[in-house]
Amino acid sequence: MMMFELDQRIAEQLTEVALNSAVQVRCGNSNAFMVTASTIIPLMQMFEMGGVYISANRGAVEIIQAFESIGMDVSNIQFIDLVSSGILGGTDVPYSNIHFVDSPIMLESVLLRTLYILRTTTSVRNFVFLDSVNALAIYNEDVFWQNTFTPSSTPSASEKFSLLCSMCQTKPLHWCYQT
Amino acid sequence: MQPAAVYTRDRCVTGIHGLDEILRGGIPYGSTVLAAGTCGSGKTTLGMEFLVRGALAGEACAHFTATEPSVKLLENIRQYAFFDMNMVDSGLINVFDMDVLYSWLGLEKASFELDDVHALIKAIVDIVNTIGVTRLVIDSVTTLCYKIKSEQLIRDFLFTLGKKLATLGCTTILISEITSATENAHWSSFGVEEAIADGIIVMGDVERMGHLLRFLQVVKMRGTHHSRAKHAIELTPLGVMLTPMLKWGAQSDKTARWGS
Repeated sequence: MMMFELDQRIAEQLTEVALNSAVQVRCGNSNAFMVTASTIIPLMQMFEMGGVYISANRGAVEIIQAFESIGMDVSNIQFIDLVSSGILGGTDVPYSNIHFVDSPIMLESVLLRTLYILRTTTSVRNFVFLDSVNALAIYNEDVFWQNTFTPSSTPSASEKFSLLCSMCQTKPLHWCYQT
Repeated sequence: MQPAAVYTRDRCVTGIHGLDEILRGGIPYGSTVLAAGTCGSGKTTLGMEFLVRGALAGEACAHFTATEPSVKLLENIRQYAFFDMNMVDSGLINVFDMDVLYSWLGLEKASFELDDVHALIKAIVDIVNTIGVTRLVIDSVTTLCYKIKSEQLIRDFLFTLGKKLATLGCTTILISEITSATENAHWSSFGVEEAIADGIIVMGDVERMGHLLRFLQVVKMRGTHHSRAKHAIELTPLGVMLTPMLKWGAQSDKTARWGS
């Protein structure tokens, strides 16, 4: 197992976040995984949340294996993989908690799949982790900002949805600053 | 001064995620609604979920299938978690093969005349009346109408059927197959179904950079206010799920498969 040091300050900050809110997590390329793990582990362990992880950067298998390499059990997280089906990787995977959407441009499908998972989950509290805003913005350009992707705006999700975390890597900057 | 009380018609709550919100509570009772769509757009699933939600509320439902044998239909629909075969076994959902019905009525012929059409209407209405059906799906009315050669006769058939079913308090979905739905196109194969129907729900695909995204749009619904916005849909194990389509998606209609 890989030795890994979590950033405890993130966990401390998460204790101050209200339920049913959206949080943007900004990080650099080099520490993106550390920040992701430091965010998700407290959500799962301290707040006993289930979750939806939307991956627009990398295939979900790669992400799961990265989490497993630091001893993290992510079986309670449902992954929505936006890249493996239509862009790279393929959909023949050894994990049952991965859902595939054909393309990152299918934002409505991503939203509906998220709502579906939230409707079927048994967890009382759930987070939605969007990895990353940058990746989705590259595919969706201006429309992403005109139609902010947030399940929190959908009434049917509000009973199950607790926290939206969107990763925003500091490069390329120009996408983030359009907001 | 007190505002005048607003009369609202009783609704048949479809139970389909998002659709009742679009229809401000559901389909007005006794309406005949045309569900028109291209192949693979989710018409049959929508129709079957409409019946399942009714059966879950204790309503008697009927499905007339003309596009595929009932055995095949049920095998396909069993993959959805919302469907329970016990509903069929217990008689809450009654599935009829149109071919069998034609055979009973001696209508195994290429085209129907006036008397044949009346016999068919009577048979359907008798079934609805006998079982006490309150939700009915005919899949598809297009296949059925292919046997009726005159537009006038198709019009009479649909008008009379709709009127009699409404009298019985039966809310009906007529599934209509369309190959495209451009700005100038009809919502039905013969052009007369859409004028007769109380409501029209259009289903199809929007093409976005080579990917097909299913959509649903309520074009017309007599007796209720409703959203006319285009909604993206997904066919999930829990049934049809809807969300408003992003404006960018709506713009791509010009190049959409259903709208090209």
